[in-house]
Amino acid sequence: MVIGGGIAGIQSALDLAEMGFFVYMVEKGPAIGGRMAQLDKTFPTNDCSICMISPKLNDVGGHINIEILTLTDVLGVKGKEGDFEVKLRKNPRYIDMSKCIACGECATKCPKKVSNYFNEGVDTRKAVYVEYAQAVPLKFSINDKECIYLTKGKCGNCKKVCPANAVNYEDKAEEVTLKVGSVVVASGFDVFDPTVAETYRYSQWPNVITAMEYERILSASGPFQGHLIRPSDHKEPKKIAWLQCVGSRDVNRCDKRYCSAVCCMYAIKEAVISKEHASDLEASVFYMDIRTYGKDFEKYYNRAIDAGVKFIRSRVHTLTPEPNGDVTLEYIDDLGERQSETFELIVLSVGMTPRANLPRLAESLDIDLNEEGFIQTQPLTPINSTRPGVFACGAVNEPKDIPTTVMEASAAAEAAGRVIAEARGTMTKTREYPPERDVKDEAPRIGVFICHCGINIASVIDIEDVVNYCKDLPFVELCTNTLFACSADSLGKIKDAILEHKLNRLVVASCTPRTHEPMFREALAQAGLNKYLFEMANIRDQDSWVHQKEPAKATQKAKDLVRGAVAKAALLEQMYQTRMGLTKEALVVGAGAAGLNSALSIAQLGYPVHLLEKTDVLGGNGPKIFSREKDVRGYVAKLIKDVESHPLIKIYKNTVPKSSHGFVGNFETKCLGPEGEFSISHGVTVLCAGGHAHKPNSYLYGENPNVLLSLDMDELLATNSEAIKKPGQTFAFIQCVESREPERPYCSKICCTHSIESALTILDRNPEATIYILCRDVRTYGFREKLYQEARSRGVRFIKYCLDCGKPEVTAGPNGKLHITIKDHVLNRPVLIEADCLTLATGVDPTPMREEIVEVFKGQLSAEGFLFEAHMKLRPVDLATDGQFLAGLAHYPKPLEETIVQAKASAARVATILSKEYIMVGGVIAVVDPEKCAVCCTCVRACPVQVPKIVRNETDPALRGHAFMEPAMCHGCGVCVSECPGKAIKFQFFTDEQLLAKVEAMIVEKKAKPA
Amino acid sequence: MIICERKPIDEIKSFIAGKKKVLLVGCRGCVTVCNAGGTKEVEILAALLRLDAQKDGNELTVDEFTLERQCDPEYIDELADLVGKGYDAILSMACSVGPQFLSRRYPKEQIYPSLNTCFIGGALAHGIWTEHCQACGNCVIHLYGGMCPVSRCSKSIMNGPCGGSSNGVCEISKEVECVWHLIASKYMDEGRLSEFAPIQPIKDWTKSRDGGPRKIVREELVK
Repeated sequence: MVIGGGIAGIQSALDLAEMGFFVYMVEKGPAIGGRMAQLDKTFPTNDCSICMISPKLNDVGGHINIEILTLTDVLGVKGKEGDFEVKLRKNPRYIDMSKCIACGECATKCPKKVSNYFNEGVDTRKAVYVEYAQAVPLKFSINDKECIYLTKGKCGNCKKVCPANAVNYEDKAEEVTLKVGSVVVASGFDVFDPTVAETYRYSQWPNVITAMEYERILSASGPFQGHLIRPSDHKEPKKIAWLQCVGSRDVNRCDKRYCSAVCCMYAIKEAVISKEHASDLEASVFYMDIRTYGKDFEKYYNRAIDAGVKFIRSRVHTLTPEPNGDVTLEYIDDLGERQSETFELIVLSVGMTPRANLPRLAESLDIDLNEEGFIQTQPLTPINSTRPGVFACGAVNEPKDIPTTVMEASAAAEAAGRVIAEARGTMTKTREYPPERDVKDEAPRIGVFICHCGINIASVIDIEDVVNYCKDLPFVELCTNTLFACSADSLGKIKDAILEHKLNRLVVASCTPRTHEPMFREALAQAGLNKYLFEMANIRDQDSWVHQKEPAKATQKAKDLVRGAVAKAALLEQMYQTRMGLTKEALVVGAGAAGLNSALSIAQLGYPVHLLEKTDVLGGNGPKIFSREKDVRGYVAKLIKDVESHPLIKIYKNTVPKSSHGFVGNFETKCLGPEGEFSISHGVTVLCAGGHAHKPNSYLYGENPNVLLSLDMDELLATNSEAIKKPGQTFAFIQCVESREPERPYCSKICCTHSIESALTILDRNPEATIYILCRDVRTYGFREKLYQEARSRGVRFIKYCLDCGKPEVTAGPNGKLHITIKDHVLNRPVLIEADCLTLATGVDPTPMREEIVEVFKGQLSAEGFLFEAHMKLRPVDLATDGQFLAGLAHYPKPLEETIVQAKASAARVATILSKEYIMVGGVIAVVDPEKCAVCCTCVRACPVQVPKIVRNETDPALRGHAFMEPAMCHGCGVCVSECPGKAIKFQFFTDEQLLAKVEAMIVEKKAKPA
Repeated sequence: MIICERKPIDEIKSFIAGKKKVLLVGCRGCVTVCNAGGTKEVEILAALLRLDAQKDGNELTVDEFTLERQCDPEYIDELADLVGKGYDAILSMACSVGPQFLSRRYPKEQIYPSLNTCFIGGALAHGIWTEHCQACGNCVIHLYGGMCPVSRCSKSIMNGPCGGSSNGVCEISKEVECVWHLIASKYMDEGRLSEFAPIQPIKDWTKSRDGGPRKIVREELVK
């Protein structure tokens, strides 16, 4: 069972279902999608949020092994890991889901307007509603606290107008008990309500808004259709300020000690997007520390600076309203001067807080919350709750961004699947079909079904007229109308008609293929027809909805659309996806913390693993790390022991991969080990090539024995060295050494926390020590902020420097002391620190991967030398090539707990492939005609996922070769098809002939049937 | 391969002004590979001409045909039936060899080139081609670190660089890299600068264009 239908729950549920488990997804609201569905764009790629999550929503909605339970609360969980009984309450929707066709008639006629919480209250909706246009399930619901009929017994409009008779005021809550093996909690977070932080006057002034409201304002589907206007007077603001850390890092007013981890990035993103909306817009961000610590975040920050976004380091203390709705900010700048500036709109970068209902949920799940009110987990088991078999992922256990959430969601799927590994495949459903009728040699016999969609289509378009018209179109055997083509009885009629009239092509004129095509294809398959012999005409979204006022023209357009669909349908061909066997073994490259965890998890899920390590020791950086919070060395030692003793893991030390070929399910990699070359067959690959501490050329490193790297200091701390216990000692740390500079622009994410932990450990053992940390922005994101607070309260001195005002200078002084000069930002003058020991936080360099990894496995490296994942936001564990995954420092610098999560996530992703008995290949893909191929390499160069290859001519090697796309690898994007200069590539289901026939038919009316 | 580029559409339109029936002939050789005259480019040009004619209210039929190659008479012969249908103009989308072969085989037809033949070169990436050879007839690139000063130096000098080389680019344009800079850097990187130093004698240009149009006769191949 997955609790929560946001991106975390969605990823977990999809992974679990693909791993071979049946999943119940429990969502408290009427639709899944969560917070991500509300966002406008996402950092750092500026991808549209709803466009990214929408396909995932449909994947969940249409998955045969996921059952979505909306409007459902968890009441209690009995039993133990592997055998839970979960008691649920399904709250009434008052709309029969099986009848609702989402036509919206009810909402149009509903007289009750209420605040639209999906749009953060910026506008209103009706008491009967869908949250948003792409919602899954796309079914209306009635809020019983808002509905006039349900509260006062009057009105009843929606019941009267519903064409599908779906409204049921008698709907009652129902309690059900489900048996499940494990539970994943992914119930997300609440947005901090800034009303309590009265400085910001959020509840008093309309032009002080939260960032979430701002997301909705920016969104094209938001209350202002994406026009950037302020709420008070709908004026386009030309000057906007973002105030950071509202509801984060503020014990004083907000009672929040932690950093919310995402607000710096989203504020920068909103500022950048705002400037794209209006280039003359002035955007200012008021911050304490800019925390752009993730992959490509620092680059994004630098781009924002270049784009003219102003960054001001200050916590604004006073906001004053102006009569015209503007707001004046007063603040103290870096030099201690009091400043004042007026803005037209203030956006509060509000943080994440635990969900208001989380304490109750935790109680019913019998799990603990931590002192911040999030679900309690441990650093080395970051997704395990305090109750075995109950796992937590996403912002429910700590504030975090989407990629980290997605990684955790996959890791939670791994954990939830592992405890019930033996039950894999026992509860899942598969679809059975009758044998397919071969219609290759038959002339087309097309069946056309025109849908009324209640009154959605029929109120505008004259269906009768369209039906009569279409009967005479070429090859049409049967044309009929149907009230709701998608209803179960209509689908039955369609199947009967296929059999009765010996139809071999089907056209449905109704709504969008985006949501409905799979359902109709399914009907074809059940009637023994190839599922690709189906075409849709969208006469609702593209016709009746947009041409309501011109019914005659809309009817004509419906005829045009159907005529086009029929013309294409006549040319449709049967296409087959073939089953291809796979090697149910995994190859893991690199045996650091990532590789070890990945290998162990995959093996524990039941699949053999080949683990390659190029050195003769396992553990990578793990044995070098010391942490005050967790026993890293003990953890890694145990991990190595577990891996070495696992019967399904074969370890190859001193071994490197030399070449690899094949595709998902069927890879073959040649390796070179101590005993020479050998070959491994595997179905999937996990790349965990790792990284290492950067060795600097500055600050006397390598010249002075008292200048250390962070890991050298770890060694002193781990061995409890006396060298740090002398009275009166002074320790200094310099952060961002050769990091976040033009030559090495990225932030290594871990160093701020690492230095602070080291400083605190020194203080634990040598309380009299003086400690300075020279830093730029302190990036202790999430709960790590608490360490920063502890360090400051215990007297660690933080001196901030910036590249513009000068880096620290280090010289060797007398008596082995180090003289460090830095300009103090408060005193605004240089200060001299005499330190006994200087630790340089140099960050992480990736292992050079070009030759050993990228050339062998055909990946891509970022400019900084890290591996490119398939998608930064939603596929952070996958590589672009299907069947390849990554984890750990090879992806980007990250702390051990995140490496563990990513490695476990990779195991879940691996299991989604290896759990299959075969993979389906083919279908809507590109196919080369070797005769026409000019071997020009255009497709090879144009393909975004490097699928096409030039291969030898198989029938006669002496002949010219041709391009070839492995069906198992082709993603079916069509880029090569449009680029091919020889027109040698066919895009199946979208061939030139089919599309041209469709377009021509739509434009030119040919009435008579051919003879 | 031979790198070509389609002529500006106005020039092509001027070829067929007032004509009613036009044949576009593509080539599956070099010009397909350099995305200038393959089946797809023929389709695009044909569509452009048809649209244009429609816009101006002209009556125009454009037929399309792509030959395996236009630099061999056997393939040119394949067009005979089609040409027999009578066209007001035949537009070759091959390098300039194509329209010349077409003109010779079908002397009564009006043949036009619709591509400009630019240079002998290769693709650096999809959509980017650079000149690498000038067909001087006497290849010497082995003396220059595997790079051709004849085609890649603006002055074709054989003992460079000249004084116009600055920061690796040629004085004529920042877009033109100085091949002499590349040659010298390569020798330096390999620690073989001394081998680079000897001055090359005057090149034998007799096999280049200076001896007039060239012809190769392989006696053993000629029956």
